[in-house]
Amino acid sequence: MRTKRLLTMVAAIAALATAMTACGGSPARTAATSIKITNASCGGHWQAPSPGWHTFEIKSGASAGAEIDLINPASGAIYAELEGDGPGTTVPMRVHLGSGKYAFLCMINEVDPFTGPTVTVSGHAKGAPGVLPVTYNDLIPVTKRDQKQTLSGIGTLAGETKTLASDVDGGNLAQAKKDWLTAHLQYESLGVAYTSFGTYDGEINGRADATGVSSPHWTGFYRLEYGLWHGQPASQLKTVANTLNTNVDQLRTWWQTQQIIPLDMVLRTHEILENALQFQLSGHDDYGSGTTIATTLANITATRDLLALLHPLLVTRYPGLPGVYSSLSRLRELLRKQHSPNGSWRPVSSLPSSTRQRIESACGQAVAALAPIATIAEPRNTAHDY
Amino acid sequence: MTTEPGSGPAPGRRSFLRGLAVGGGVVAGGAAGAAGGYALRGGPDPAAAANAATVEGRLPAVPFHGEHQAAITRTPQAATAVVSFTATARDRAALKDLFQTVTDRARFLTAGGTPPPTGITGPPSDSGMLGPTVVPDGLTVTLGVGSTLFDDRYGLASARPARLTPMKSFANDDLDPSQTGGDLVLQCSAGHPDVVLHALRDIANHTRGGMQASWRIEGFTNPPRPAGTVPRNHFGFMDGISNPSVASARDMNSLVWVRPGTAGEPAWTSGGSYLVVRLIRQLTEFWDRIDVYEQQDIIGRYRDSGYPLDASSIDAVPDYAADATGDVIPMNAHMRLANPRTPESASSRILRRSWNYNRGLDDSGNLDVGLLFTCYQQDIGRQFETVQNRLENEPMIDYISPVGGGYFLALPGVRNASDFYGGALFA
Repeated sequence: MRTKRLLTMVAAIAALATAMTACGGSPARTAATSIKITNASCGGHWQAPSPGWHTFEIKSGASAGAEIDLINPASGAIYAELEGDGPGTTVPMRVHLGSGKYAFLCMINEVDPFTGPTVTVSGHAKGAPGVLPVTYNDLIPVTKRDQKQTLSGIGTLAGETKTLASDVDGGNLAQAKKDWLTAHLQYESLGVAYTSFGTYDGEINGRADATGVSSPHWTGFYRLEYGLWHGQPASQLKTVANTLNTNVDQLRTWWQTQQIIPLDMVLRTHEILENALQFQLSGHDDYGSGTTIATTLANITATRDLLALLHPLLVTRYPGLPGVYSSLSRLRELLRKQHSPNGSWRPVSSLPSSTRQRIESACGQAVAALAPIATIAEPRNTAHDY
Repeated sequence: MTTEPGSGPAPGRRSFLRGLAVGGGVVAGGAAGAAGGYALRGGPDPAAAANAATVEGRLPAVPFHGEHQAAITRTPQAATAVVSFTATARDRAALKDLFQTVTDRARFLTAGGTPPPTGITGPPSDSGMLGPTVVPDGLTVTLGVGSTLFDDRYGLASARPARLTPMKSFANDDLDPSQTGGDLVLQCSAGHPDVVLHALRDIANHTRGGMQASWRIEGFTNPPRPAGTVPRNHFGFMDGISNPSVASARDMNSLVWVRPGTAGEPAWTSGGSYLVVRLIRQLTEFWDRIDVYEQQDIIGRYRDSGYPLDASSIDAVPDYAADATGDVIPMNAHMRLANPRTPESASSRILRRSWNYNRGLDDSGNLDVGLLFTCYQQDIGRQFETVQNRLENEPMIDYISPVGGGYFLALPGVRNASDFYGGALFA
C-alpha cells in the first residue's frame, strides 16, 4: 500500500539532509544560492543567475512544515518541488534553469500560500520544462466519473457472481468454470489496486499466500478457482461461491458511500499493471485456470479506462503519453496471441521463455511509460488557487 | 550559487521510450513544450565527474571512448556481473535505439556525475543506490552480441560476424539452457558490488521494452594472498597467471582484436573481440578430499606459491622440453594442456579474464561455487575451442562442471561522443 504524506515527511527529509551533509553529499560543491523561507518571506530577493544547473539551498525558518515550489509566476508551471520541507532544515533544490522568469511559491502549513519576488534569468537558453500542476479542482470531477463507472462495473459483476453462485449451488461445475472466468475478468477490469476497495479486495480476490490453500479464511475468486480446477465437489464450494456473491453485493453498497481520494486514481494508472506484472504475468496468481494472461488484458482495460478519464489533463503535460498508448497496444497485441483457437487461454507457465520475455519486456515498457503520470498528475495546490 | 558549465542535454533517460513515443506519430503540445528535452535536460557535468573520482575508497573513472571496449585490456576488477539479454525491440530501428540508449547510459555511468533531477515530471532519474552523486569507481561496461541477434528478426543476417556461432557443448559440459546463450551480453565491472548493481539497474531501467534479461551471474576477485601475488580461485590455486601481454600490440593484434581485413569479417566488427563466457561450477567438496600433490599435478603449479612445478617463481615459463615425459609436470596437467608453449600452440592463446562466483547451494546442500571464466580472442575456433579440445580429458574434469555461458562478439569500442555501440553495424 502506498500512501502520500504531504506534510508528514519532515523527519525523513531532515534526516536525509543530515545524512547528506555528514557524508559529504555532493562532493566539493561550492556555494549554492541560499534561499530563506519564513512565514513572511518566500525566498526574498535572490540574485538572478545565468542559465544552467543551479542548486538552491532552501533554508526553512517557517513555523511549520512547508511545500516549496520553484514556479513560472505567469503560468504557475512548476520546475522543482520540495515536499514536506521541515522547519529549521536546509535542503538542496537542484534545477536546470533556462532563460525566463522564476519565483518561489511557499505553502506553509496553517499559513496562506504566497509567492516570492519574480526573478529573471537572462539570455536565450532553454531549461528544464516546467509542468502545470494538476489541481484538486481538475481531478475531482474526473474522480467522480471514475467512481460512477466503477459502480456500474460492480453492478455488472454482481449479476455475474450471482450466476456463478447458482451454478455451484446447482452442481453445474463445468458452467461454473466458464462463469467464474467471466466474473473474474469483470472484477479485474475494475482496476483495483492496493486498498482502493478497502478490505473487500482481500475478501473478493485475496491470494492464499498468507493462509495456505486449505484455510477456511481464504475466500473469493482465487479460492473458488482453486476448488473448481482441483476437483473439489460442489458441496465444498457452495459457501465459497455464495460468500463471494454476498461480498460483491456489500462492496456495491459500500462503494457508494466512499469519498474517493483523487491521488489514488492517479497512482492506479501504473499500479494496476505493476500488480499484473508481479502476480499475473509471473503466474503467481494462477490457481488452476491458467488465465492470468486474460487477467492482464482486463487490467489493461482498467488502465486504459483511467487514462481516458485523465487524458485531457495529461495530453498537455506529458510528452510521453503517445508512448504510453503505443506500449499498451503492443502489450495487448502480444497477450491476445496467447488465446488458443479453441477459446482457452495459454497458462504463462506453458509459454516458451522467449514469448514470456517478450511479454515481460513489453509490460515493463508500459509501466515505465506510465510511471511519470503518478508524479505529473498528483493533485497539487497552486499559486492560482489563492 | 553552483553553476555547472558544460552541462549539455541529458544523456537520454528514457530516450529509448521517447524514441518509441515519437514513432507513435503523435506530438504532444502544451505546457511542457519541447519533448526532446523532456524531464532530463542536463546530463552529467564534468566537474562533478572529476570530483566523484576522489571520493575515498573509490577508483577513478576509466575512459569510456576508444577503439576497443575498455575492460578487455584491464585486469579483472573486484566485482563484476555478466547478464545475458534477449532482444525484444520490435524492429531494427528500435534495436538501434536500444544500442544508443545503452551507450548513453554507459557513457554517463562510467564517467560518474550527478543525475538530473526530474522536478515534477516523473520518478527520480536515478535509483539513489550510490547517493546523490554517481561515483565511477572504475566502472567498465562491455556489450557483446550473440549469434541469435543475426537471425531474421532485425534483418542483420548478412552482417553476422564470420566466427560467431552458438556455444558448442563440449564432451564434459552439462549446459543448462536457462543460463546459456543470448542475443546480447552485458558485463559491468567495478571496484565494488554496489556500483556494479547500480549500473545494471540503471541500464535495465532505461531499456524496458528493448531487451529482457535471461540469465545473470555475479563474480568477484579475491585479494591476492599473500599480497603481491595473484588472486586465487575456489580450488585455492592462483588463476590467470599467464596471459598474452596487453601491452604488446603484436600479441593483441594477432590474438585478440578483430582487425580490418580479418578474413571474412564484415568491416563493422573491426576493433571488436570474440568473447567466450563459461560458467564453470567447481565441485569443491570433492576437491577438498584429494591430497595436495594430486591437486598440484592436476593444475601443474604449486598451490602455496603458484610456481610451476618445475620452477621457483610465479612468472617462470615451464620448461616442457626438459620434461618431455611429464615426470615433473604431468602431460595432462591443466596448465600444460591449455598452453603447451609450442610454436604450433602459440596462435591458440587466449586473453583470460576470470572471476569467482558464489551463489548459494544446490538442491543437495552442496556449495554452488565456481569460476566465471571469460576470454577474448580473434577466432573462437582457432583459440578457445582448440584449447578446450586439448583439455577434453584432463583429470580436472572430475572436479568441475561447465553449466552455462555463451559465445559473443564484444563490440568495437565507442570511438567518441557521437558514436554508439554497434554504430558501424547500423550505419
